[in-house]
Amino acid sequence: MISFLEVLERATSGPMMSAKEYDMKVFIPAVREVVKKYKIEFDPKNPCPHDDDLADRIYQAGVELYSKVGTYCTDTERVIHFTAEEIEQAVYECPKVVYFGEGPDRVEWHGRMPDDDKLPHCHVGSGTNTTEDVALKMVEAYGRITKAKTTSIPSLTTVGTLTGSLGSPMEILAGINMMRIAREGLRRAGRPGMAIIDLHPSCASGIATIASSNPEFGARESDGWIVAPHAELKINYDSLNQVAYLTSWGANIGQEAGPIMGGYGGGPEGTAVVTLAYAFHGILVVRATYHLTYPIQMLNVCSTTPEMIYVISTSSQAFARNIGAPYYALGYASAGPATRQYFYEAAAYLLAIQSSGIGIEDVHPNKAVGTNQALPIDSEFTCAFGHGNIGITRKQANSIIKKLMEEYLPNIKNPPKGRDLYKCYDLETMKPDDELLKLYDAVIKELNGYGINFK
Amino acid sequence: MEDKEVFAKLTKAIVEGDSEQLVRLVKQAIDKVDPLEMVEKGMAPGMTEIGSKFGEGQVYLPELLMAAEAWEEAMKIIKPKLIETGASMKKQGTVVIGTVQTDIHEIGKNILANLLTTAGFDVHDIGCDAPAAKFLNKAEEVRADIIAASAIMSTTVPYQKDIIDLLESKGLRDNYIVMVGGGVVTQQWADKIGADGYGELASDGVEIARKLVSQKKGA
Repeated sequence: MISFLEVLERATSGPMMSAKEYDMKVFIPAVREVVKKYKIEFDPKNPCPHDDDLADRIYQAGVELYSKVGTYCTDTERVIHFTAEEIEQAVYECPKVVYFGEGPDRVEWHGRMPDDDKLPHCHVGSGTNTTEDVALKMVEAYGRITKAKTTSIPSLTTVGTLTGSLGSPMEILAGINMMRIAREGLRRAGRPGMAIIDLHPSCASGIATIASSNPEFGARESDGWIVAPHAELKINYDSLNQVAYLTSWGANIGQEAGPIMGGYGGGPEGTAVVTLAYAFHGILVVRATYHLTYPIQMLNVCSTTPEMIYVISTSSQAFARNIGAPYYALGYASAGPATRQYFYEAAAYLLAIQSSGIGIEDVHPNKAVGTNQALPIDSEFTCAFGHGNIGITRKQANSIIKKLMEEYLPNIKNPPKGRDLYKCYDLETMKPDDELLKLYDAVIKELNGYGINFK
Repeated sequence: MEDKEVFAKLTKAIVEGDSEQLVRLVKQAIDKVDPLEMVEKGMAPGMTEIGSKFGEGQVYLPELLMAAEAWEEAMKIIKPKLIETGASMKKQGTVVIGTVQTDIHEIGKNILANLLTTAGFDVHDIGCDAPAAKFLNKAEEVRADIIAASAIMSTTVPYQKDIIDLLESKGLRDNYIVMVGGGVVTQQWADKIGADGYGELASDGVEIARKLVSQKKGA
């Protein structure tokens, strides 16, 4: 595989152009060309297709796209290019298993295949905004879910009365505080070795990420660090600084990508290809050993519409069949927390990703906007879903997803707001209130009626 | 070719984002058709149509950007003619738009900038990672009606408040309409910092801007 130093060399010697030129003259035409060439078409009647040939065409289109567009470095205003041969070689050589955690909580995470009868990797938690007063209990609650293999930890945006603005000292302090809180939360849950793999959600800047990674504050080599690009296929020196630091001591790096459907990639077909192309960016530029994707729709800012289920299903199948590295997806539900619609949207998304051959994570309510919106019951739902539906096929999933959509699509633009953690949990015991428990039990029964099982 | 036919062809070229065809049509018609009418009756309806289709999810960002690019190319030919004839386009208002300090996300901001331009606003895009002073300096320079600040991350939204704080500290708060938006921005946040307008989606921004400018001018 091309070395990271070679990537940096290309970032300073590749073709120079403005970001606008890259978007308009390079990226958009290339996406259109490969979508047409590989005959990729979205069928709204089959949001979760079971078409291996389509998955493989998306893979081929992704390789061709990435070989044409590479990754744009916004600091040097140059394109980091790779040939198709270099991309294929990197795919061949990239790790197919990643190890997280320590002691009894150490886990191996392997890639899966579509329609696989193996248990998916069940990842829980949320890196969304959480207030300091409940952050510890949230992590403890995640750790108490024994089916969960790895966890995300919340994002703190305050340090006492100060706000953790990006690039400020408060961002560094928020990252450090959250790291300390998270490790303590996992200890309290009896899972001291459980890996945290979204480091550091309170930090977006490289300097804060690096500062918060000092082992003094609780980060371990067996945790995972995620490095994000910005849409589409762009990176800056701040992110490359993180990679330079993390690769220097062999950290587990996760590439995190949020392609935008309706953005530069165009419709669902182009966005599926772009989503897949991020894997190559991840392997080569970010040096990722695991991959997280969360494509969202520009207009609804959620991931449970037919278009978005298609994007995540087909790109995941393309990844699983042709790359096989650890991969998971994060969905954004339109509905707020503790609502019937949230669980329906979450079930549809989980059906799509589990059957398409990747790992699962809690679907985030309320489009991941707002504070204290993620609930521990979302994580319990995710794990019970993963264990209850081992071996579910894409064909079965597609059929159920369509029925679930009949229920939630009419309300997708005006979803119920729901109740946040403060309103539906006893914060002393960290247990849901009776109303939420009653709703949860009822929803599980309803979803059982669709052929979805929970264990 | 009758004027009506020219206008229809201009509209079609804009909707299709066909820059070459639009420039060709404009060059052919520039000495025969009123340039202001070419814009207002030919190109502007095309931009309205593409903007509506974008808002409804029938077309995507590439189509919107290609239409905007075609518009820009055509205006390079039309603007000198407008100056020559002394005609001027009806301006909805002047907007300074940017993404706040430390935030490098531009898609939503770019979409709104394009939609505002094509809706008749005079838009000054100051890019991303823009400190509060850059918003204010540009707004003072171009005598803006609106300052529109995008922030996509929970750690960058506080910089939207900095813009309002700066305006207040300089005694200029009442001179400008402040609009905020971006991934994690909510109406609640907009209210908390005292912003005048908030849109959940970039496509909401045009109507909000129109309404606020109209209120300001009527005030």
